[in-house]
Amino acid sequence: MSAILTVEGLEVDLSVPAGTLHAVRDVSFEVARGETLCIVGESGCGKSMTALALMGLLPRNARRRARRLVFDGIDLAAASRTQTNDLRGSRMSMIFQEPMTALNPAYTIGNQLCGVYRRHKGGSAAAARERAAFLLGKVGIAAAGERLGQYPHQLSGGLRQRVMIAMALMCDPALIVADEPTTALDVTIQAQILKLLKDLQDEFGMALVLITHDLGVVARVADSVAVMYAGAIVERGTAAQVFAAPRHPYTAGLIDCIPVPGRTKPGERLGAIPGTVPALVGNITGCAFRSRCAHAQARCEDAPPQHAEGGHEWACIRGAA
Amino acid sequence: MGLHPGGRMSPLMRIEGARRTFSVSRGLLARKRTLHAVNGVDLEIEKGEVLGIVGESGCGKSTLARMLLGLIPASAGRIVLDGAEVGRMDARALAARVQPVFQDPYGSLNPRKRIASIVALPLVVHAIGDRAERRRRAVEMLERVGLPARLADNYPGQLSGGQRQRVAIARALVMQPEIVVCDEPTSALDVSVQSQILNLLMDLRREFGLTYVFISHNLAVVEHVATRVAVMYLGRIVELAPAEEIFARPRHPYTQALLASVLTPEPGKGLPDTHLGLAFPDPLDPPPGCGFNPRCAYARAVCRKRMPALAEDGPARVACHAYDPIHGKEFA
Repeated sequence: MSAILTVEGLEVDLSVPAGTLHAVRDVSFEVARGETLCIVGESGCGKSMTALALMGLLPRNARRRARRLVFDGIDLAAASRTQTNDLRGSRMSMIFQEPMTALNPAYTIGNQLCGVYRRHKGGSAAAARERAAFLLGKVGIAAAGERLGQYPHQLSGGLRQRVMIAMALMCDPALIVADEPTTALDVTIQAQILKLLKDLQDEFGMALVLITHDLGVVARVADSVAVMYAGAIVERGTAAQVFAAPRHPYTAGLIDCIPVPGRTKPGERLGAIPGTVPALVGNITGCAFRSRCAHAQARCEDAPPQHAEGGHEWACIRGAA
Repeated sequence: MGLHPGGRMSPLMRIEGARRTFSVSRGLLARKRTLHAVNGVDLEIEKGEVLGIVGESGCGKSTLARMLLGLIPASAGRIVLDGAEVGRMDARALAARVQPVFQDPYGSLNPRKRIASIVALPLVVHAIGDRAERRRRAVEMLERVGLPARLADNYPGQLSGGQRQRVAIARALVMQPEIVVCDEPTSALDVSVQSQILNLLMDLRREFGLTYVFISHNLAVVEHVATRVAVMYLGRIVELAPAEEIFARPRHPYTQALLASVLTPEPGKGLPDTHLGLAFPDPLDPPPGCGFNPRCAYARAVCRKRMPALAEDGPARVACHAYDPIHGKEFA
């Protein structure tokens, strides 16, 4: 499978009052056509900044650099603003965490769905409306005609996220970037929305980059996984590799932290990662996890060596078991 | 403490037919409508247990928590703590025995107060000790919840989310309450911090003999900490059972859907089909009969007409017509 997205050496720096915050540090990954990549990590690890950097939606105080940033044969790093605007919402689209703030409260659902389509594909209002109604049906919303005339506040959170998904699909994208798409939703709705996304992916064949903090979501939807810590990817592999044999101490620690029915015994102590995430302002040298790591040694002050084993990659002094 | 005929201890707190309504405006000109946030809850809280309360947004679990704390009076029914009605108790006497830990450690701590004075405030309110004694007890409690004494003179803004939640726990425990009502205590925290806080809560429970009411939407967390679980839906308890029972044999279709929706970190398992429709109930306009019937795959005619009452089924109590001795046959 050829890659739809190639990221090499992505860096995002933010200017903050205290100096330069290195939000994303030398991040590289590939996404194949139709693949689901989950980027997982805790708050402040740079996962959302990575998503925004891909979409060209970084805040004003941010600077993006990359050795290579290629989407569908187009060099995003060199693309003009107009080119990026033409791609976004068309060939690549984004789903945000909070559909209430991502949808415009002053326009009807139909207006917003059709707006995307006509901006990128042109065509008649009738054609756009037909596409919108078709996709609302696809995301499981009945009585599409009536829904198109409604405003976002008239829908429940779960339905709003379905509308967001329909909007992302309007122009038949090759890639969808979803940033915590189900975090604001109830658990039963979360399962429904994720299932819908995977079903639509099977039907339309788009690739999916899903950003989440939830290891359960990762395990159930990911083909491949990238674990981020302090702005960098510390481990990458298939979902099976990362969950069955985590190689980086941070990944292993994270998996041990969550209660899992059947694995952890009720009432018993859960694993914990002592300490807190380091500040990302100023120069960062060596392994960023070493201050919290039980296996840390003096050589962790140097850049950690990269290991690879059958597509499973990690950055740590500890090699294969 | 008296004994029930069955030899059981009498409950620490008893909730009898508790209801709470809110008047909700739906726009400038629309008539106000009544929201039944808690709609007839009967519940007993036994000493030493961890009662998990689970349910989705709008099910009334947080309103119920605030009623137990005496922060919201009941519209009807009673909440009784050791024979005294919570609504009629002196606020200070209640606060000495029932304390909260809320979800958001950013919103629940006064940003202008130093950590030690936040933790010591309950002692001030109850006029316990002098200044030095209160500070000593506050610092002692801070160390007990895993915060170094050097943070005592910091402000909340200088602390991380996990450290703030430890401060909130220290403040809750400084009066040595009997019941701690934890409302989504780890939902705003990262998973590595969540496990630290859960471990701490479990340690403190053993050390101080605490009783927890533990409210959460995260079922894996509730399964880990709770000894008994109440499942709420649209203001009512639909199932109540010992924790191991409810997770091993969920009875109510809603409990089953909730458990099926838990995404355990098991790759290859794929995504569950919850068999829930898209019909999401409007809490302002609940459906007739069982509140869950529009989403329930097993709903029969009776479910759309009559509200099921909580009925015993083995060690569990469940409000579903399928478990009703008369209507149950229709579901076979």
